[in-house]
Amino acid sequence: MRFFFVFFFSIFSTTLFAQQKNKLVIHHLFTNKALVFNENFVLKNEDTISIHTFKYYISSIQFLKNKKVVWKEKNSVHLIDEENSNSKTIDLAKIPTDIDFEEIRFNIGIDSATNYAGVQGGDLDPTKGMYWTWQNGYINFKIEGKSTFCKTRNNAFQFHIGGYENGLATLQKIALKINQKLPLEINLDIEKLIEQLNFSTQNEIMQPCKEAVEIANKLPLLFSIQ
Amino acid sequence: MRKLIYLLFLIFVGMVSFNTIEPLFMIPKGWQKPTYDFTKNNLTQEKINIGRALFYDNILSKDSTTSCASCHLSYTAFAHTDHALSHGIHNKIGIRNAPALFNLAWSKKLMWDGAINHLDAQALAPIHNKDEMDETINHVVEKLNASVLYKKLFYVAYNDSMITGEKTLKCIAQFLLTIQSYHSKYDSVINHQSFFTNQEKNGYYLFQKNCASCHAEPLFTNNEFATNGLKMDTTLNDFGRIKITHNLNDSLVFKIPSLRNIEFTYPYMHDGRFKKLSEVLNHYTSSVQPYKNLPGQLKKSIVLSSNEKVDLIAFLLTLTDRHFLYNGAYQFPKNSLMPTKDKQ
Repeated sequence: MRFFFVFFFSIFSTTLFAQQKNKLVIHHLFTNKALVFNENFVLKNEDTISIHTFKYYISSIQFLKNKKVVWKEKNSVHLIDEENSNSKTIDLAKIPTDIDFEEIRFNIGIDSATNYAGVQGGDLDPTKGMYWTWQNGYINFKIEGKSTFCKTRNNAFQFHIGGYENGLATLQKIALKINQKLPLEINLDIEKLIEQLNFSTQNEIMQPCKEAVEIANKLPLLFSIQ
Repeated sequence: MRKLIYLLFLIFVGMVSFNTIEPLFMIPKGWQKPTYDFTKNNLTQEKINIGRALFYDNILSKDSTTSCASCHLSYTAFAHTDHALSHGIHNKIGIRNAPALFNLAWSKKLMWDGAINHLDAQALAPIHNKDEMDETINHVVEKLNASVLYKKLFYVAYNDSMITGEKTLKCIAQFLLTIQSYHSKYDSVINHQSFFTNQEKNGYYLFQKNCASCHAEPLFTNNEFATNGLKMDTTLNDFGRIKITHNLNDSLVFKIPSLRNIEFTYPYMHDGRFKKLSEVLNHYTSSVQPYKNLPGQLKKSIVLSSNEKVDLIAFLLTLTDRHFLYNGAYQFPKNSLMPTKDKQ
């Protein structure tokens, strides 16, 4: 009897342990500090910036070994929202514990097939504030805040980056080499995007356009393994 | 013997009652497969009922004054008859004429400029438009979740009373899918149940010769987009599909509308500039602008005598579908919406 108890307890604790371990944690950084909403961050160019909205989609998570996919998440779509800190931890409980990998790949944004497939639920529900309505399609990446360089009302900037067709696709593929086991910690450094923008001339994108594609192209630079 | 008669009687009753149950959606004889993927949004009567209630409910607008039916009236093929430009919340006037709604399961892209690529997402546009309902889907879902009526309806339909944006929009799409028009005189002629008059027959010939490549049978649209050479209205400066595609070839390009029920969908064109069918025909025979992106069919002007125009219009009137226009299943759902005037 005691043997069975120990046996089941050990199985239970291993699965519990595995579940705690099998996750991907994303850290939002700004000027080498953790991002805090509405807090002022001073950049190298002496601009003072605060951010109050930061959310984006991660989709199609895959793990690779020797450039071959060894595991891929089913229905892989995650809305990462700085406002909801739980969303920055992606649970990968279904990944086999004995799996060996050296690279992770995922997309920033929602692929074109999903954009053509009508309305969906969960993180894709249009009530999540990541869906355009006058022209349907997902917003892949959204950042809003204030910059002293913005000559707009309240120095506000708003970038809603999306678009999936007509040569204005903004989906980005991210590939990161990894030499560690799970849990995986990924850094997203917002400064790497902000320092490339010129807030005195550009402060608002709200639709698919060339400028949105240019900003989307910078997004892969933001990610690194901790 | 008595048993046998009894059995035959039962079979007969069974067949009659089976025949009287109308299917939720029909692919009329000879029509192609719909473009809508029903496997992703299985039709049920309960979900259609919710969609119908939502279609007629002002709850979708910010100040509870405007519903889909404010601009899409069932008696006029769900068009906004008599209004060149449709008006929404606070009497605001939009920039386009609300299109007729039917046979949407075959549509490819929706709206005059094709801004919406899927029927499920369509309702979001008017809900969020400042001149139409000026609401947000988040707030609509919040209001629905606070409504005893809708909580009950969703529970019956989904076995779960939690209302989401996805469920709300898919129910609206379900009702829209059931709005079908295929019982016009034209349809009965095609199905050998009726005959055209000589005038209608000549009109049909002229239609096939001059109009059918874009307004293709049996939908009377190929669901594509083109410019039809209308002069730019400089009070609106509406360039159409180019706003969506950013492609110069899409300047002044608009959706090719279906001609079914055209008798009731006046005024015509994306901005409702023509009140009468004769004005529409006069445009095609004599005022098409020579735009670079004009489709080949319109590059050479269409020639129609005044008698031929009359015949063509006689044919177009055979596309009126009274079975569709007066179908009770498409009208205000008294049973679900009336008893709960005090929505909570």
